[in-house]
Amino acid sequence: MKPKVAFFDFASCEGCQLQVLNLEESIIELIEIVDVVSFREAMKEHSDDYDIAFVEGSIARPMDEERLKKIRSKAKILVALGACACTGGINALRNQYSIEMVKKGVYGDADIENNPYFDVFHTKAVDEVVEVDYYVYGCPVDKDELTKVITSLALGKRPEIPNYPVCVECKKEGNVCVFEEGKFCLGPVTRAGCGARCPSNNNACEGCRGLVDNPNINSELEVLQKYGLTLEDALERFKMFCYREMSK
Amino acid sequence: MKLIKKDEFLNFVDSLIKIDPRRVIGVKSKGNKFIFDTLNSANELRLDYDVTILPPKKYFLPPTETLLKYDLTDKFSVEAVNEVTPLIIIGVHPYDLIALQQMDIVFRDTYQDHNYIRKREESILIGVNIQNVSPYSFAGSMGTATTEEGFDLMLTDLGDEYAIEIGSEKGEAILNKYAKIADADGDTINKVHDIKGKIASKFKKQLNFPPEELPKLLEENYDNELWEKNAQKCLSCGSCNLVCPTCYCFDVQDIVELNLRRGKRVRTWDGCLLEDFAKVATGENFREDRAARYRHRFMRKGKYLYDRFGFIACVGCGRCASACLPDIADPCKVFNALKEG
Repeated sequence: MKPKVAFFDFASCEGCQLQVLNLEESIIELIEIVDVVSFREAMKEHSDDYDIAFVEGSIARPMDEERLKKIRSKAKILVALGACACTGGINALRNQYSIEMVKKGVYGDADIENNPYFDVFHTKAVDEVVEVDYYVYGCPVDKDELTKVITSLALGKRPEIPNYPVCVECKKEGNVCVFEEGKFCLGPVTRAGCGARCPSNNNACEGCRGLVDNPNINSELEVLQKYGLTLEDALERFKMFCYREMSK
Repeated sequence: MKLIKKDEFLNFVDSLIKIDPRRVIGVKSKGNKFIFDTLNSANELRLDYDVTILPPKKYFLPPTETLLKYDLTDKFSVEAVNEVTPLIIIGVHPYDLIALQQMDIVFRDTYQDHNYIRKREESILIGVNIQNVSPYSFAGSMGTATTEEGFDLMLTDLGDEYAIEIGSEKGEAILNKYAKIADADGDTINKVHDIKGKIASKFKKQLNFPPEELPKLLEENYDNELWEKNAQKCLSCGSCNLVCPTCYCFDVQDIVELNLRRGKRVRTWDGCLLEDFAKVATGENFREDRAARYRHRFMRKGKYLYDRFGFIACVGCGRCASACLPDIADPCKVFNALKEG
């Protein structure tokens, strides 16, 4: 029996689901090994009968929480898809401000009182609301890694997701370390799996895949300062994708 | 010993690129660093380099390499994969030649690693004596600043020309086929001998004691507090492992295609500094502490591989020291600190 798979989105750009569509001709192989029963971005059919739920996006409102809990109750396996779902992503940037300030900043004087769509709270990652079985990290997720996760689940085995930093993949690429080019990189503490895509293209890693299990944050902060950042600026670097971890 | 004028040497390299069926690799610049890469023209060669980002090991133990492919479409079929591209690698420094000789021993030891061995056998190494010393390197102290073996040809810069030592028949054959050379006279041989004799003293960074003392020193310092102290800064990023010419550990994984019928088994570089390196299937991790992993690499370079094979597995290239952002990976600093006590 092919596992039934459903895709869901919360606060996100839906770019990670787009990565599924970017599998292009491999989608034919995908639907041979799984039954896609719900995927708003790609089909109009929907079923509440599924085994594996892929959840994109972060959780921003009480109504999202309710919907996510329902998804969890129906799914045997729940996979967080992409940075927003895994860590709160850039949506969690608003968590450094009060909700009143955020609402005021975004909606100004518009009348949003008692409207559940605008009833927002501090952004949560999916695992702050329900149990997550597996994570597909990245902004957006990497197609090859996504394929690996899907094939692993279809075979009933645990997907191998790297717990080593981006430096590993960067060194394998033979890159000049971007620190030596005056850039400030979060690669030494960020979970690999992207193939060191940003440093391989002369950009510093911004940490979109979140941190490794046991990052040495203090050492990374020292390194960032050694190369010229103030402590404040060094901490600021982590905010974009690692707000949750850094606010702990 | 032979001699070749520098313009003739460039012609020789260009002939190798254009005519010889093997792929020609050489040292090129990348930013303000150097790399081994495919040569498109002899003019790209930078034989005056100090050190490359990655050692030439990457051609014999590639960062990621397919070991086998399988197909379950009809019946189970599996095929061993050994992709070998014969290479001519130009500009290998003595410490890297010595590191490759060590790897030859490791990969031929109990298990004959055909993927490594075939690549080595099909390749030609043209060495060059060090002209510029990397500030991180201490090869002068490790006995690896020069070598009399491990190369097919070895170049020494003499200003307008290169002296060429012949290390193998393969080396001699390409020279005879593609190069316009002359015999070196006794004076030139003496001059090369002089140049080589002075290279070791050019290294500012020095180990303060003979490397032969390392195994005993490390054994005595297994519980030294330095490991814990330095490891507090360790990012566990594995950079020191990954750039090392004598780190050979790899992980093996099966990658299944989306159709679930075909797949491949690959090996990819691993490193003992990485958190999950010594983690096994039950979840147990034999070197869970950062300090235990940090110590392990030094023990391995200076003691464990010595006990096993009889060589010190650090050739003093300094790549780890240069790659380590918190500056704790430098073996010369660590060994000297242990010696000082």
